[in-house]
Amino acid sequence: MANEVCFSTLHLDKSWALSTYQAAGGYAVWKRILKNKTSPDDIISELKTSALRGRGGAGFPTGLKWSFMPRNTPGQKYIVCNSDEGEPGTCKDRDILRYNPHALIEGMAIAGYTIGASIGYNYMRGEFYEPYDRFETALEEAYKAGILGKNIFKSGVDFDLHSHIGAGAYICGEETALLESLEGKKGLPRFKPPFPASYGLFGRPTTINNTETLASVPYILANGGKWFLELGRPNNGGSKLFSVSGHVNKPGNYEVPLGTPFAELLEMAGGVWKGKELKAVIPGGSSTPVLPAKIAMEMDMDYDSIAKAGSMLGAGSVIIMDETTCMVKTLGRLAYFYYDESCGQCTPCREGTGWLSRVVNRIEIGKGQQQDLDLLLDVAGKIGGRTICGLGDAAAMPVMSFLNHYRDEFQFHVDHKRCMV
Amino acid sequence: MKIITDYFKSLVLIELLKGLMLTGKYLFKKNVTVQYPEEKTPISPRFRGLHALRRYPNGEERCIACKLCEAVCPALAITIESEQREDGSRRTKRYDIDLTKCIFCGYCEESCPVDSIVETHIFEYHGEERSDLYMTKDKLLAVGDRYEKDIAANRAADAKFR
Amino acid sequence: MVSIEIDGKKIQARDGALVIEAADDAGVYIPRFCYHKKLSIAANCRMCLIEVEKAAKPLPACATPVTDGMVIFTKSPKAIDAQKGVMEFLLINHPLDCPICDQGGECELQDIAMGYGSDVSKFTEKKRVVKDKNLGPLIATDMTRCIHCTRCVRFGAEVAGVRELGATGRGEHTEIGTYITSNVSSEMSGNVIDLCPVGALTSKPFRFSARAWELVERDTIAPHDCIGSNLKVHVCNGREVVRVVPRENEAINETWISDRDRFSYEALYSDDRLKTPMLKENGAWREVDWETALQAVIVGINKTITDSGADRVGALAAPTSTLEELYLMQKLMRQMGVNNIDHRLRQLDFSDQQQAPVFPWLGQPINNLENNNAVLLIGSNVRKDQPIAAHRLRKAGVRGSKIMTLNAVDYDFYMPIMAKIITSPMDYKHQLAGIAKALLAQTKQPAPNGFEKLVSKVKITASHQAIASALVEGSVSSVLLGPQAINHPEASTLRMLAQLITLLSQSQLGYLSEAGNSVGAWMAGMLPHRVAGGKDADKTGLNALEMLHKGLRAYVLLGVEPEIESAESVIASRALNDADFVVSLTSFSSEAMRQYADVMLPIAPFAETSATFINAEGQWQSVAGVVPPLGETRPAWKVLRVLGNLFGCSGFDYITSDDVLTEVKQLTKDCQTDNTVVWCCPAPITTNSNADILVRIAEVQMYAGDSLQRRAQALQNTHDADFAAIRINKACAKKFGLKDGVKATAAQNGTEITLPVVVDDNVSDNSVLIHCGLRDSAALSTDFTPISIRPV
Repeated sequence: MANEVCFSTLHLDKSWALSTYQAAGGYAVWKRILKNKTSPDDIISELKTSALRGRGGAGFPTGLKWSFMPRNTPGQKYIVCNSDEGEPGTCKDRDILRYNPHALIEGMAIAGYTIGASIGYNYMRGEFYEPYDRFETALEEAYKAGILGKNIFKSGVDFDLHSHIGAGAYICGEETALLESLEGKKGLPRFKPPFPASYGLFGRPTTINNTETLASVPYILANGGKWFLELGRPNNGGSKLFSVSGHVNKPGNYEVPLGTPFAELLEMAGGVWKGKELKAVIPGGSSTPVLPAKIAMEMDMDYDSIAKAGSMLGAGSVIIMDETTCMVKTLGRLAYFYYDESCGQCTPCREGTGWLSRVVNRIEIGKGQQQDLDLLLDVAGKIGGRTICGLGDAAAMPVMSFLNHYRDEFQFHVDHKRCMV
Repeated sequence: MKIITDYFKSLVLIELLKGLMLTGKYLFKKNVTVQYPEEKTPISPRFRGLHALRRYPNGEERCIACKLCEAVCPALAITIESEQREDGSRRTKRYDIDLTKCIFCGYCEESCPVDSIVETHIFEYHGEERSDLYMTKDKLLAVGDRYEKDIAANRAADAKFR
Repeated sequence: MVSIEIDGKKIQARDGALVIEAADDAGVYIPRFCYHKKLSIAANCRMCLIEVEKAAKPLPACATPVTDGMVIFTKSPKAIDAQKGVMEFLLINHPLDCPICDQGGECELQDIAMGYGSDVSKFTEKKRVVKDKNLGPLIATDMTRCIHCTRCVRFGAEVAGVRELGATGRGEHTEIGTYITSNVSSEMSGNVIDLCPVGALTSKPFRFSARAWELVERDTIAPHDCIGSNLKVHVCNGREVVRVVPRENEAINETWISDRDRFSYEALYSDDRLKTPMLKENGAWREVDWETALQAVIVGINKTITDSGADRVGALAAPTSTLEELYLMQKLMRQMGVNNIDHRLRQLDFSDQQQAPVFPWLGQPINNLENNNAVLLIGSNVRKDQPIAAHRLRKAGVRGSKIMTLNAVDYDFYMPIMAKIITSPMDYKHQLAGIAKALLAQTKQPAPNGFEKLVSKVKITASHQAIASALVEGSVSSVLLGPQAINHPEASTLRMLAQLITLLSQSQLGYLSEAGNSVGAWMAGMLPHRVAGGKDADKTGLNALEMLHKGLRAYVLLGVEPEIESAESVIASRALNDADFVVSLTSFSSEAMRQYADVMLPIAPFAETSATFINAEGQWQSVAGVVPPLGETRPAWKVLRVLGNLFGCSGFDYITSDDVLTEVKQLTKDCQTDNTVVWCCPAPITTNSNADILVRIAEVQMYAGDSLQRRAQALQNTHDADFAAIRINKACAKKFGLKDGVKATAAQNGTEITLPVVVDDNVSDNSVLIHCGLRDSAALSTDFTPISIRPV
């Protein structure tokens, strides 16, 4: 049971080509919707049935999100796809763009139709040159085939899709910073409320979804929400792309149903490399709390199970660490990442991330002092939940979880001025 | 009865002897009188005498014209005017202490963020006219320059209590 | 209204109000840095985090709207913990240099740190250091102190209208600075000094001169432009003005003031300041006491009156003088039989002065400017002339109102301009006639008498149509005459046409007069043809221009330097030098004044005298003097009172300046406030025959309007204090063989001047912009008249 949704065409030759996608049944849903003029409510209720949750990290139910868009407001609305995949450990969206761009195009078109947006933007990460090329080629094909554009298939429905390439800032993956960046401004998150659904791109109602979420939509509508739900577990419908990286034999993207035990996923990825023992797992990308091997081996890979284990599914980026990993050094690298990527807009994150990074670094190089451990927790606690966007929380969470599970290693660094492993 | 005992006491000069005993006791004790001005009493490093303005070892005056001493002075003895020096730094163009007003409370010293205004252990100064007791910036710096070694030593001695 | 509860206090709050606004209204203080009631919400400092019942996280009070039944805790352990946490972060990279920081003692960070900071920092790393930026001569920077609240950035974008400051860099490396190295040149830039909650942006002229606790704050009024911005003056040691900041007045200047009002105080201590009475004897100046000086005045004036008659004496006053001074001056002169009284030194056309309104004013309250749907500006560089009025207009423009201009220079207004006509000043009347003609056609109203003939040769263009329809469509619309229209050689024609336009389009006619008390001067009767209260004078004297042209025997000057402030500077200079006796009541002496004057009486300038100013909206604003007059200087009203007594005039027994004010109030209580005048058809407009004549545009340089501004050093170092130059567009430059940066000679009515050429395509065709008010350009004869230019 793998590769049933976004990767269902992966085994085909030139899976990114329009012909391949159409041969596998692609765009049938889009055509059907245009022909039958399916009511947006039906589409949303199908999505609600499927229990599709946002694949970008927050896991917000997609059907619900779409239903928030104001229906009767006149004027332009937008659908934006967030392909600014910057979370360390995540590499799934680029593969959708590379191997199944048409699923995303179809998903965006359906989303646009559902929420009443005639213009869509796909915001791609600045470093995605190859995926950008593939997606642009796919767009060209779609326009040529009359799948996008004005009055598509004479249905009277318009949908234009543009791609935009970012400039390499992690913060632009935050939806409102992404909108700012898309508007041509510096990528600074906006304060919410107002939410994008009422004040989004260029001040118009906007829905923003992750690449994987949107690419899943055509499959759900083709096979029914119930099918999707049953792939996974109740409230955790469907399958999910997991980007397994770190100390494994076969790192890569694996599409497995939600609820697959972690042990199974680890096995798919060839197990921990060099016959070493598993030490720790970050289950959802660098901003989610780390879990020690013992807890991880017993958990299942779905939103609720991981939450129960004390972490988050996030974007499904599973980072595997073997027994030789120094947790202080790992945290040092993560803290530096958030320090480097903080946008500098609000105080706790601007000042706090640098502080965290420096203190962790100090501990790592053996200059730490006893009080530094509590200082880290104190600073992280003062960042979390007090910033404009989630980057503050993202920077604080690893610090808290690393200290929670591996305090002894930090203590060892302080006491012996060297690493334990 | 009392009259009789008093008579006897006076007869044998007992009171005189008592007094002489004390004299005799101190005759052989260490002398405590200080022969000022030839001799001087020891002075605490915290002694609050004549004011001085200090400099850094490179010759730069310490005072940054923050005017905290002026603000804190309970006797309104300090007058400061500040300006931007040519190199852009904040300096005094006038720093006066009227010693006839000063009550030597030491608040100026206490408030100084850069240890510039200090009270030295000098207490033997005089002025032949009032204006001699009006210390200008130049005079204060001159005091500082002359006694810098002592001032620094006193600060060092008191450092752990500050 | 919704009901909310703050710290257990049940209050009613406006629907949609932010928590911080509701709390402020209820008197509950929430600490803040980035929030400012006049700027957009940034919510980036996080200092105002508060606890809201049922909210998982602390919420920023500045960005959270109130909802019905909201329960807010601003001082609960959770809220205090959040606020203290933010404070700690703000302080880790803030330098501990309060002792040398000009903001020390009045610093928001310092104050709030007292309440929410800790005495010991847990931060042991190196602090951030940021290179200081050069923001020009007005604003000093210490960017290491910046806490990135972005108030200054938002001020630039939202209020000043120019994005000169911005945040560059990311994360901890975010820096506030300018784009590359250009400095800040907004005419309102000084406001960022007040906005900055820390000592990152401070006043450069004030730098290190005093501490906040030494200063006493006193109220006064800005005398420069016709807005009459409310000011607070910071006085050191009870005798010296060291700083000026705005005083909030929502009806006039909100919380802003222009740089002109903020930094002109520097002139009070300039080297030119006259501190003792001076008397010229046998060509040599000597300092004398007041009695001697006043005696010399009595003797000099009396002698002239006896020898040549009172009609050979003239009085000129600056429109920046106070109402009391202006009133006493004309009262004194009239009692002595002198009717040659005027304050309109820059005016060229006096032909319709009899019909003029009692006082030409804005025609509406200043705060109403932002409610206009359509505004036509004629001959006005409002952004530089009256920055506060421009800010109000900008608010209207940004909201979508139609702002239109008729100017000789394409000024850089920072608001959307719907239509603009940029043409030679000689062409103004054609354009206005065109608009009026278009309006007549659009509104189908009967043409006033003689109009057909007036405009028979005028063609209606698309711009005329657009402006006409915008004015008609706007429910609130105004036509505003700026200084360049008021001082135009055909001002009466322009006024008549402008008025016709307002009548046809049902809009308001207004004057953006040039000086702080122009309206007051009209009210006080500082005019040859009217006494106080706008009543006709028994005998009409000579106006300012005639006085100088006719060459009187004696002149009494009040705060004016006619050799640069007159529309005909050369003639003014000649007339004064040729006169037998010139007495100057002045705060400043100059080389030129020492040439022509015989007695100089030092009078107290703004801030040193009690004063009443009437601004463009007709608001009377009275203030007391804030510092004692410098040296032997005396308030001019006292000098005039004593002169009155010495001349033996009656009614000069005032005890306080309030007595004078009461008298003026009594005399002006029935003043009509109508700007409209009776239609009187101007001469017919022939063809565009002036098209080929090169005309001088005489705009007063931004910081040369009055004697104070000219002597304020920091202002004179700004971009706006343009040097005297021949500014001409590329086509004209080519036509006359001129090159940018190379000197050329301008000639006019027998006068000549050699100045560098600046090629500026904003200048209209067939015109040359040579700023006036400058000593370097004073050798050129007349404003707004034909001129010839040749390369040197």
